[in-house]
Amino acid sequence: MLPRRQRPPASGPWGPRPAVLLLAPLLLALQGVAAAPAGAGGPEDSPGLQDAEFPSGLLQQAARAALHFFNFRAGSPSALRVLAAVLEGRATVNPKKGCQVDLVFTTDHYNPEVGEEHLGKCSARVFFRNQKPRPAINVTCTRLIEKNKRQEEDYLLYKHMKQLKTPLDVISIPDSHGHIDPSLRPIWDLAFLGSSYVMWEKTTQFLHYYMAQISSVNQWKTSDDAIDFDYTVLLHEFSTQEIIPCRIHLVWYPGKPLKVNYHCQELQTPEEASGTEEGSAVAPTELNNF
Amino acid sequence: MKPLLGTLYLLGILAPEGLGYDGSLAQTRRGVLEETVSPWRNLDTYSYTKYHPMEEIYQWMVQITEKYTGVVTQHFLGMTYETRPMYYLKISQPSANYKKIIWMDCGIHAREWIAPAFCQWFVKEILQNYKDNPRIGRLLRNLDFYVLPVLNIDGYIYTWTTDRLWRKSRSSHNNGTCFGTDLNRNFNVAWCSIGASKDCHHLTFCGTGPVSEPETKAVSSFVESKKESIVCFLTMHSYGQLILTPYGYTKNKSSNHEELIQVGQKAANALKKKHGTNYRVGSSADILYTTSGSSRDWARDIGIPFSYTFELRDNGTYGFILPASQIQATCEETMEAVLSVLDDVYEKYWDSDSAVKMTLTAMVLGLLVSFMSVL
Repeated sequence: MLPRRQRPPASGPWGPRPAVLLLAPLLLALQGVAAAPAGAGGPEDSPGLQDAEFPSGLLQQAARAALHFFNFRAGSPSALRVLAAVLEGRATVNPKKGCQVDLVFTTDHYNPEVGEEHLGKCSARVFFRNQKPRPAINVTCTRLIEKNKRQEEDYLLYKHMKQLKTPLDVISIPDSHGHIDPSLRPIWDLAFLGSSYVMWEKTTQFLHYYMAQISSVNQWKTSDDAIDFDYTVLLHEFSTQEIIPCRIHLVWYPGKPLKVNYHCQELQTPEEASGTEEGSAVAPTELNNF
Repeated sequence: MKPLLGTLYLLGILAPEGLGYDGSLAQTRRGVLEETVSPWRNLDTYSYTKYHPMEEIYQWMVQITEKYTGVVTQHFLGMTYETRPMYYLKISQPSANYKKIIWMDCGIHAREWIAPAFCQWFVKEILQNYKDNPRIGRLLRNLDFYVLPVLNIDGYIYTWTTDRLWRKSRSSHNNGTCFGTDLNRNFNVAWCSIGASKDCHHLTFCGTGPVSEPETKAVSSFVESKKESIVCFLTMHSYGQLILTPYGYTKNKSSNHEELIQVGQKAANALKKKHGTNYRVGSSADILYTTSGSSRDWARDIGIPFSYTFELRDNGTYGFILPASQIQATCEETMEAVLSVLDDVYEKYWDSDSAVKMTLTAMVLGLLVSFMSVL
């Protein structure tokens, strides 16, 4: 990946001495623990991170990357999660290699229409390699929805999607006023699922992404019963504020691993050659039910 | 006689709607609500839970000024790059008191639509409630509000006509090969030193020099001219759910950093009580990213003590394209946060208790000194 612009190093965390902080292996022992509703991990966050060596933004960065990866790996458009709050975290910085972040964070249901407050809890180890995207991630989250229920919801979503009339008469989702027609909501959820893979792959310790808008639906069909979805999405990169168009092609069937191909544009600049990034993946499953 | 009166009464009801070309009639006639820009929109039917194009905001400012004469006046600030007028509203209750000023601007970044929506909501709330609500009434006794509902007018219009995700202004650079300056990197504070780009293609392009843009010039000239009176400078953005204190251009802290954090945290707590939304509080360099040339940092450095950037909803789920269905909740909670800040500012300067204490202390000290000199 061509770095688009030299990010000015903040004074402190990337200083000459390796900074050593506590590792908390017992954070990982939180696997499978039933989630007590997380304490209002609110605006007073980054507890325990008194060290001034790096900004509390790093924890947020790690949480976001972990969630993108989690959502992609779960492969379930009806069970998408968003970040609620970071509860605690520790980081080890190795200026030569990168930095490792261990953290615990809470998550919320992605679909805001869902009334119930179902705060989930995740623990993760995220390793950012210096100047390179695609952080290595180990993440475990408390199981919020019964697996059967999740599969059922995915299947209902799938059936709904199969009934959509093609070609789809849409220009952008959402429209300028943020409105998504309820019948098109599954498209947004599925697009977000595919984008999660792309956003995870592009994330570095400095760059992070959100999905801003689906700018076009190029193709929507069923092939071999799976949903075959080709779309262009606009990703918003926060630190540069840039909008990155990405063409994504995904194939999804409930319960099967998500297959994703993508091709993102980098914006033309006078100094740099334009670059494109491509990637593809098949999501690993927890069950190996091929 | 009675039938005649009845007829006149009916005419009285129907005539204004019949003659006026306004949105409500359009709805009745066509049976479907269409979002046309109507030159004669009635302030009573103005929806604060919808996003409005610039033409409607211009109209709204005129109508607000007319409806609340005596308290609101509209003032010219300057011209944009594409030669559109920039207006701010001054809300001021006539009194003999010497007033301090609260400045609020929205929409310095074109795509952050929720911000201008909040500015309009804020004005509406103040004006609808200052007579009956003692909390707001108290503020207006010693404070004037200066509200700029849309700072980056050219950019805002561009997001309606052409590109919903446009951020910068619409100034032309490089022989018309690239457009727009990031107005929030264009202020004269550590200009273009960090967290901004000298490349006009980039979205954080700092301009051709500090205050190179007419919009920046209009705001900074005015604010500079009033800086002795301005105690609070609030600039509204989205998204991220943050209350940011100075600075972005350095990790150093302002002299009143502790106080700013305390006030900010109190505001975030008040905000959360409304709908449970989590906001984080901190300096821009600490919790967001480095920036130079921001209006907030500039305002602090010319001496305005309380200077904050608000990044409104959401956290990335919809980002800039926040559904209109969330306007109300966002504005209600943000209102709580802003009022909390204003209360703290008010109490700092005009709290009668502390004023009395200070006077008594001064008297006692004065007496002690005279005793000492006698001995």
